[in-house]
Amino acid sequence: MARDDDSGLRDEFLAEAQEIVEALSRDLLVLDQAEKEGTTSAEQINDLFRSVHTLKGIAGMFGHPTIGAIAHSLEDLLDQLRLEKVALTAEVLDVLFEGVEHFQRLLQSEEESEAGIDLDAFAQRIGQSLGVQDGGATEDPLRALGLEEAMLSVLTEYEEHRLRANVEQGVTIFRVGLRLPLLSIDESLESLKEKLRSLAEIITYLPSMDGGDAEHIELVVLIASTSDKEVLEAAIPFEGTSVEEVNRRDGGPMSLGPVEEPQTTDLTDLIAAAEAAPSSLTHAPPSAAQLSGANQADPLSVRSVSNTVRVEIDKLDHLMNVVGELAIIRSAIFRISERFRSESAMRELSIELHRINRGFERNLLELQNGILDVRMVPLGQVFDKLARIVRQAAREHGKEVRLVVSGKDTEVDKLIVEELSDPLMHIIRNAIDHGIEPPKQRDMAGKKPTGTLALSAYQRGKHVVIEVEDDGGGIDHEAILRVGIERGVITRDAAAELSREEIYNLIFTAGFSTKSSVSDLSGRGVGMDVVKTNIARLGGIIDVDSEPGIGTKFTITLPVTLAMISALLVRVAGREFAIPITSVREALVFEESEIRMVEAREMLTLRGSSLPLCRLREFFGIADAPPPERQFVVVAEIGSRRVGFLVDELDGQQDIVIKSFGPSLQKVKGFAGATDLGDQRVALVIDVPSLVEESGMQMDRARLWAGGGV
Amino acid sequence: MSEAKLAIHQTDASEIVRTAHEFLAFSLAGESYALPLPSIREILKAPPITEIPRAEYDILGIISVRGRITTVIDLRRRLHLEEGPLTKDTRILLVDRGDEVIGVLVDLVHQVYRLHPDEIELSSVMGSDVSDHFVGIGRPGGEGSETLLILLDPIALLRRN
Repeated sequence: MARDDDSGLRDEFLAEAQEIVEALSRDLLVLDQAEKEGTTSAEQINDLFRSVHTLKGIAGMFGHPTIGAIAHSLEDLLDQLRLEKVALTAEVLDVLFEGVEHFQRLLQSEEESEAGIDLDAFAQRIGQSLGVQDGGATEDPLRALGLEEAMLSVLTEYEEHRLRANVEQGVTIFRVGLRLPLLSIDESLESLKEKLRSLAEIITYLPSMDGGDAEHIELVVLIASTSDKEVLEAAIPFEGTSVEEVNRRDGGPMSLGPVEEPQTTDLTDLIAAAEAAPSSLTHAPPSAAQLSGANQADPLSVRSVSNTVRVEIDKLDHLMNVVGELAIIRSAIFRISERFRSESAMRELSIELHRINRGFERNLLELQNGILDVRMVPLGQVFDKLARIVRQAAREHGKEVRLVVSGKDTEVDKLIVEELSDPLMHIIRNAIDHGIEPPKQRDMAGKKPTGTLALSAYQRGKHVVIEVEDDGGGIDHEAILRVGIERGVITRDAAAELSREEIYNLIFTAGFSTKSSVSDLSGRGVGMDVVKTNIARLGGIIDVDSEPGIGTKFTITLPVTLAMISALLVRVAGREFAIPITSVREALVFEESEIRMVEAREMLTLRGSSLPLCRLREFFGIADAPPPERQFVVVAEIGSRRVGFLVDELDGQQDIVIKSFGPSLQKVKGFAGATDLGDQRVALVIDVPSLVEESGMQMDRARLWAGGGV
Repeated sequence: MSEAKLAIHQTDASEIVRTAHEFLAFSLAGESYALPLPSIREILKAPPITEIPRAEYDILGIISVRGRITTVIDLRRRLHLEEGPLTKDTRILLVDRGDEVIGVLVDLVHQVYRLHPDEIELSSVMGSDVSDHFVGIGRPGGEGSETLLILLDPIALLRRN
């Protein structure tokens, strides 16, 4: 189908564009910080320019004119910035941030028109930023520089500008020869940049035409530095590095490598030649083309520099399905080998088969773990987005906020990362809106005027913990109780018995928040119940602790992956259900006689506290067979709420792959999906948070369902 | 049904007839029905179906088709026909409704018919009081044909959930 091709292309564009825009946003935040500290470097602006340029390229290829147009105007602005014709000010930064926001909005909305972007107004702001430009240099000092034609001809306009500027300022140009392993080329270049940052400006990297083998590449790096050759040599961490000064023509002898081309050509001719024949690059090996692609302002820059592939999560799900099928085959083979074992003639064969099957099982497990591993992405992806929110929210509220991030590399299932942005964004906005005080107020309280927001993540066993901590005004637990009682979330009597932890957890209760909040960022507590529900949906829990005057800390605990979870298999009226083990506290034998009625609800007493009972048979309306003599109670727990599910049988624990329902079953509540148990058995996976919620509120209505039917 | 809606319905139906010349015929409560062949992905013998508590009445449950969870509907219930037992002839047709492949339980699968436009009587000529999913009547072999096929539109038939 033609439509599929289109949407495939479109997906590819969206994925790639999204990556670029995220990188842009990250770099822009770094630049913003650098601008405040007065440490901006030409390299930073250049990185931005390259990203925008690439985006413009692919927007053109995939037919996204609006993104292309915005990229084009941003490119103009960045170009002038890097040519130092426009100064980097807070206002210019705002325009850059606005541009990136436009990209995001355009990528998120299906139709361009939905994004609601006033392009004219944006163009006007770009125009204002571009402002006055002064004239260029008159004398070209590059003519005097002893660089060969082949090298000069591949420099971009900007690289030429930097080269010229450095020569004009009397900075010495060095030519560094490197031999780097292809496999780790990206890291090597990064570390080179890092090492040279304080010593020199990197003007360009060029692949050497003749060097390199299958595993290595030879590069020529032009740098400008006021340091000595020996200092530079010591700073560059690779073996086999040569550093040579590029002499001026009128100076001493040529210290450049062997060059066959005549070196007296006029520069303007060189540029013309380069423009007429950009193919000079295509003679280089692919790796070289990729490398220079990053520097070169031509269509080659669309090529990806990294050695990674992008995979749709559906494809991984498919592979996981295949693994599931293989596991079923494995158990079939196991059964056959067991059958052989009982026949003496086949005994030897049986042992052999058994051994082979064990090997199969081992490899299968490895395959499964491998697939799970591919799904993992660093939390940095979502943290970077949040950094932007922090900046924006702080500006909107006139607060000064420093964001401290740690544990960016902690890896979580891709699906979890996607679902985390919204809840985290909400918590962070709340922290800035209501947690961190305005600078003056902080000053009076004896705190630093700049508030700190710490976002950290770490892995603990099979879980990942994310903490959001602010050093703001904290939440007064008296105030929580007051609001809770006012809004009928809790009675005055019950309030008196709550522990400190329970009081803070009240803010996650539905009904605690109201929509009467003044701020569009929502008041403290507004929507926190939604945050909690979203986190619970991912199999996670959220807790809060606060100290008035000192700050507030939210702690989110999540499973590392959603793809495969441990579940308790139970049986009700002959049907199998799976309950995710993360929410199972314990299971016990059911004693009918222990039931007490509290406010028309069946309750069990478990170690001194009450446990509401939910009879799954009635609740699901599957009471077609009488319950067995002996039944069990599975105690499920979500946050501070517990429910006992009454089941017929416990079938043990098993690792399962949850598969979601198709759109046709979206309306059905109470299940997170289903899982294939093999032998054509499919069990429903119970969505514990939603059942806990529902059974709490709708015990009576469940009786209606018990009748079954329309 | 409003006139505008009817107009849209007519285009849909004639579109189905124009593009799909081949129909898969099956029986349901003694009548013969047919779906456009291109919408049928697969025909399965009915495996055990896991029922879904509290799902809609005509949803029988889910099955796993090579690891993919697939919703199965009872076409008798959907078309308000009398209930029938599962037999050895019972089959599940995997039908593409656009955004999802749905399992459709039928009594018995007959054969594929290639229908010429002359052999199809569109529902639009039968008055305004017909269901969305009813495309028309197919008469293989033309007028006087023994077999009458009730032609169904898979999208309209399955998109309700």
